[in-house]
Amino acid sequence: MSAQTTAISRPRRWDNPFDPELSTADVERILTAPVFRDLDPDRFPPGQSLPDIVRNDARINRYQRGDIVVLEGDYGNSVFVILSGAVNVLYGYLPEVGRPPPRARRPFWNALAQLWRNSRESETRTLSPSARAVHLRSDRGRAYLPDIERVIAEHSVTLLEHGDMFGEISALSRSPRTATVVADTDCELVELRWQGLRDLRARDPDLRERVDHLHRTRSLLAHLSESPLFAHLDEATIALVAQEIRFENHGTQELFPTGELPAENDGSLAGEPLIAEEGSLTDDLIMIRAGFARVTEHLDHGDRTAGYLKNNDVFGLEELVRQWRGNQSVPLRNSLRAIGYLDILRVPAVVMERYVLPTIPEHLLPPITDADMRSTPVWKRDDSATGIEQPLVDFLIDERIINGTQSMVIDLDRCTGCDDCVKACAATHDGNPRFVRQGPSHDDVMIANACMHCVDAVCLIGCPTGAIHRDLSSGDVHINDDTCIGCGTCSRSCPYGNIVMVEIADKAGTVITDRETGAAIRRATKCDLCAGQLGGPACQRACPNDALARLDMSNPGELVAWLRR
Amino acid sequence: MAASLTRFTRRRARNTALVVGAAVLLVAITHLAEATLHDIRFVTGWTLFGLIVGLALFNLRRRIPVLPLGSASDWEQVHIYGGWFAVAVFLTHTGAGLPDGPLEIALWIPFVAVTISGTAGIWLSRVLPKRMRDHGARELYDRIATRRAEIAAEAQALAISSARDTGSVTIADYYQKELSAYFQRPRNALAHLTGYQGHLRLQQQQIQSLHRYVDARGHKILNRLSELVETKDDLDYQFAAQSALRLWLFVHVPLAYGLLILIAVHAVLAHAFEVGPS
Repeated sequence: MSAQTTAISRPRRWDNPFDPELSTADVERILTAPVFRDLDPDRFPPGQSLPDIVRNDARINRYQRGDIVVLEGDYGNSVFVILSGAVNVLYGYLPEVGRPPPRARRPFWNALAQLWRNSRESETRTLSPSARAVHLRSDRGRAYLPDIERVIAEHSVTLLEHGDMFGEISALSRSPRTATVVADTDCELVELRWQGLRDLRARDPDLRERVDHLHRTRSLLAHLSESPLFAHLDEATIALVAQEIRFENHGTQELFPTGELPAENDGSLAGEPLIAEEGSLTDDLIMIRAGFARVTEHLDHGDRTAGYLKNNDVFGLEELVRQWRGNQSVPLRNSLRAIGYLDILRVPAVVMERYVLPTIPEHLLPPITDADMRSTPVWKRDDSATGIEQPLVDFLIDERIINGTQSMVIDLDRCTGCDDCVKACAATHDGNPRFVRQGPSHDDVMIANACMHCVDAVCLIGCPTGAIHRDLSSGDVHINDDTCIGCGTCSRSCPYGNIVMVEIADKAGTVITDRETGAAIRRATKCDLCAGQLGGPACQRACPNDALARLDMSNPGELVAWLRR
Repeated sequence: MAASLTRFTRRRARNTALVVGAAVLLVAITHLAEATLHDIRFVTGWTLFGLIVGLALFNLRRRIPVLPLGSASDWEQVHIYGGWFAVAVFLTHTGAGLPDGPLEIALWIPFVAVTISGTAGIWLSRVLPKRMRDHGARELYDRIATRRAEIAAEAQALAISSARDTGSVTIADYYQKELSAYFQRPRNALAHLTGYQGHLRLQQQQIQSLHRYVDARGHKILNRLSELVETKDDLDYQFAAQSALRLWLFVHVPLAYGLLILIAVHAVLAHAFEVGPS
């Protein structure tokens, strides 16, 4: 007896174009615009032609003078090309207006009704005739800067005009916007979402080089303007400093080159390229631009992990300050290694000594300590920077847990296995728990298999529709169930196995299948941090034993505070 | 000094102080009432009823995770320390004496049982998770049976192959007589809960003693069997501990609801047969 099924047409990549109203004339206009007109259509296969990509992954946005195009700190994955008019780029200016409202939360009674409305069948969906596209920044309506004249007068701005491109830093590095962009005149911009940019870069090396060059140049300036170490410098000095800085890539392109967690670590660190070696002269200040780095101390035949660095952290500052104050060479106390890929900026010591250190506020300088860790047995050493026990630091780095901003951490000394967290998760997700209360553990700390909402969310890279995306303001990673086509790319990309593909059913529990092939229709599912629910993540609130917390593992202080609670 | 205390320690100290303070106040009020010839048993009785209803709401909170009703851990703290205060009110209400009538006995026994089961639950919840850490990786309760079946299958395959590979039936015999049943279902639950490890030691000694009767291939098989026995023992520990952590609730919660009903009956009767100054 065959199982009863409901058949539909399998969802496809371009079922939901970025702008369903984009006309053929608009597509032709975009294709003749700067950047796009330089692309060679012959490099694109028939099934994924250049006009197809533009038609489905681009749109034309129109702005009036003073309109906010992107906001610094927001998450976005689009690049923009100016079709007409001009925009102003403002660094470090955070207007009050234009902030997106927090994700709408359901009313109290609606939440209560969920108790009896939850489906008895697993993974049921209501099939809607038209799926809802992912909402990006410019979908939220017009955000307007009323006093643009004053803002421009008081802040340093960069003017971009016809043919210029912006937004590539966030698109390529999956990081928040580094600047606010405001329309200087009435203007038209082509907005190309990440999926389109990814395909164009893959097919056209010239565009790839162009975008990458912009990324390197601008991210350097953006990083300098973000760093408190350089905040006291005037614009001219920053420009001088920027000229002397070297941008370097280390390690493999992705944090997880094989798509999986590294094999059992033997402590050799052979797969982690050395960037700066302990004992060598301190020639530069190293600023972490993207990715993660391991700080190590050589010990006998191995290397002890002293800590880890992430975006905006610096390496070698203490040595540079000692060197500058003592007027003699000071060797590096630690080594620095790339974990996966790593982008760094090297600021030469002479530049630091000439421009930065003489005028830097004292409170920004690191405390100069003479503590000698070598007098403590290795198995008793705490991480000098974080206060986390050494073996736990090793575990967090080896398992790449440091990538998580909302890791589900369980204290095994307090977890009774009551499963209230799992039940709460199911109750808030139509009866379907979105995590497994199991995962890698070290001593009394377990990292459960729940989406960690990573700093570097590699699951976002390959999604053909943009269904998996970051929340605009919080940066949390969500899946738009309506536009997920069930390809499984994100699930395969997640090295932690925290995205689960499920077969969906209709409200009666009947499996939904593809009309043509008969195969089950699938969707990607994962923890969404109870977005829209009242009170935040239900798992954390449901634990009666104070055993579960969602922690930002890229911030060691959060874990330390929790461990010592 | 205070800064070095953990949040949990400070919380425990604060809550204990609150309960002790409230209990002292209650006793003082009771003595004052007795001294002034006031009967406050209705007051303490209704206080106790209200407290127990409040404590029972914790179970309701656990079943409604979709509402922002505060964290379950805060509710549990209120439940634990509110429970201790309820004991103080109960002792005050009953005069700390033994029951002397059928209804009093019917009330006294479930109250004491709820208190004991709750206390046991706290103890189990604080002790067993730590102990489980010394007994292999934490397994999900629902998966223990599957994992046990996997271990049993591997042990059986080893035993069967031993006869073929070593030309001896020593291991196969031992497996059939001693290990087969051991691998089939959870064992030594009580021993695990009391921390006794003699059964494992004995089993390992028996396996060790077989080494002299088998060849090199047999040694390998016995070593692996020994590992499987230990893994199964850890799994049994996990099963025993996690079962205990579930079972106490099956005693505590129904008894608490039963107690509530009995208290309601008691209140009705107490008011119906109230004897007061006419």
